[in-house]
Amino acid sequence: MKSVIALLLTAVSVVAVGPRAEYQAKPKPIWERNAPLPRGFNPGEAFPTIALSSAADGRPVSVAAFRGKKLIVNVFASW
Amino acid sequence: MWHAGLAQLERDGRVAVVAIVQDQHPDRARLFLQWKQVGWPTLADSLDLLNLETVPLTLAIDEYGIVRFSELPMSAVATIEQMFVNRTYPKPAALPPADTPDLPALRAATARGTAGAWRSYGDALSVWGAASRWGAVIEAYQHAAQLAPRDGPTQFRLGSAFRTRYDSSARQPTDFQDAERHWARALDIDPNRYIWRRRVQQYGPHLDTPVLFFDWIRDARVEIARLGETPLKLAVEPGDSEYDTPSAGVVGAKVPTAEPDPQGRIRRDRGEFVSVETAVVPLSVTPGQTARMHVTFRPNLGTKAHWNNGVDPLVYWLSPPHGWTADRRAMVTPSASTEVSQEPRTVEFEVTVPETQVPATIVVPGYALYYVCEDVNGVCMYRRRDVNVSVRVTATQKETKP
Repeated sequence: MKSVIALLLTAVSVVAVGPRAEYQAKPKPIWERNAPLPRGFNPGEAFPTIALSSAADGRPVSVAAFRGKKLIVNVFASW
Repeated sequence: MWHAGLAQLERDGRVAVVAIVQDQHPDRARLFLQWKQVGWPTLADSLDLLNLETVPLTLAIDEYGIVRFSELPMSAVATIEQMFVNRTYPKPAALPPADTPDLPALRAATARGTAGAWRSYGDALSVWGAASRWGAVIEAYQHAAQLAPRDGPTQFRLGSAFRTRYDSSARQPTDFQDAERHWARALDIDPNRYIWRRRVQQYGPHLDTPVLFFDWIRDARVEIARLGETPLKLAVEPGDSEYDTPSAGVVGAKVPTAEPDPQGRIRRDRGEFVSVETAVVPLSVTPGQTARMHVTFRPNLGTKAHWNNGVDPLVYWLSPPHGWTADRRAMVTPSASTEVSQEPRTVEFEVTVPETQVPATIVVPGYALYYVCEDVNGVCMYRRRDVNVSVRVTATQKETKP
């Protein structure tokens, strides 16, 4: 009988905790919910050293040129 | 706005900020940053060389080039400072050097005849090539696309290269339509690419629930001027499809209510003075669907042709085929404020295929009437240019492959 009660209590606690735990869970980053980021965009990876054209004058510039300083890279589109 | 919040950290030299923009026209993003009073270095990734699916994305990168955060709470600058700026990170044993491609070696590698070699060569040329490089970039991506036609990034980059050349002095008349063709192919290969989807939508029919593309530009220009600054000049002004609401210049112009040359009596310009480029988005439609058509008129620089702005603006009259509907029959393009000018003039309109249309390539005819002069001191004329825009009607909705 004790084991049946213990089982029931466990079941009740699972039911009770389940939704709460789900509610409290921190949302995953958008790319984990959808698609993975390319290599070089995930924590711990070296950011790609590929050069892109400067929007001001077309000169090739690599993000690697900013090494030596902490950097925030904001990728966006104006639309 | 978090951009402003970071400003103090930037001024203190504790952090640098770089923008990477995914716009086809990166100067629009620079205008956006001017509007927000932010002077970050801005790098252009119009071809999506970074191979990202969506934007925006903000990364925190340490002094050694290692990504530390891919999702910082950007609204809380104090948290950024605490979680990232104040932290010390270990120096890695080795760091990859900045990528400086060896173009001749990459060109030589294409002799192997692989799609990857051609794509790499196109990628490098697109950034490191000479100013006149876009023809060679297109050629490289065309080779890659021929060898690997289902490679989405190659198709997208090829489309963007075509559009970039279209906006340059080296344009070919079909470049815009070719851009659309390859963007659409890329999206067909991978419909999950939001950046690619937006590029197609940018030039396509207005969405049922309009999503603003560049309407902010009008506000930005007014506010920048109010601050006493001159708004950055855009290389390419957004077209009608890129605005949710048409420009005031078009709204305020005299639009004819009846066909202006029903008997075809106005003498034709067959390209001596003005050339015509057309593009349809999407390229093929099914009955009931809508296509957006772009028609651009460009004075022939070879004959020094130029618009005569002292008279009425260019008028376009559309004659949709029987049963087809159009969002407008008559259009005008605003004239420049100077007496004469040579800028391209574009009209855009949407046509909807009747449900009864059988599969075929259908011509949507129209014509433009304009005042053009053959030289700065030459003869001015009133001319008509007939335009036929073709659209392919298919029987069923094309399925996208995963």
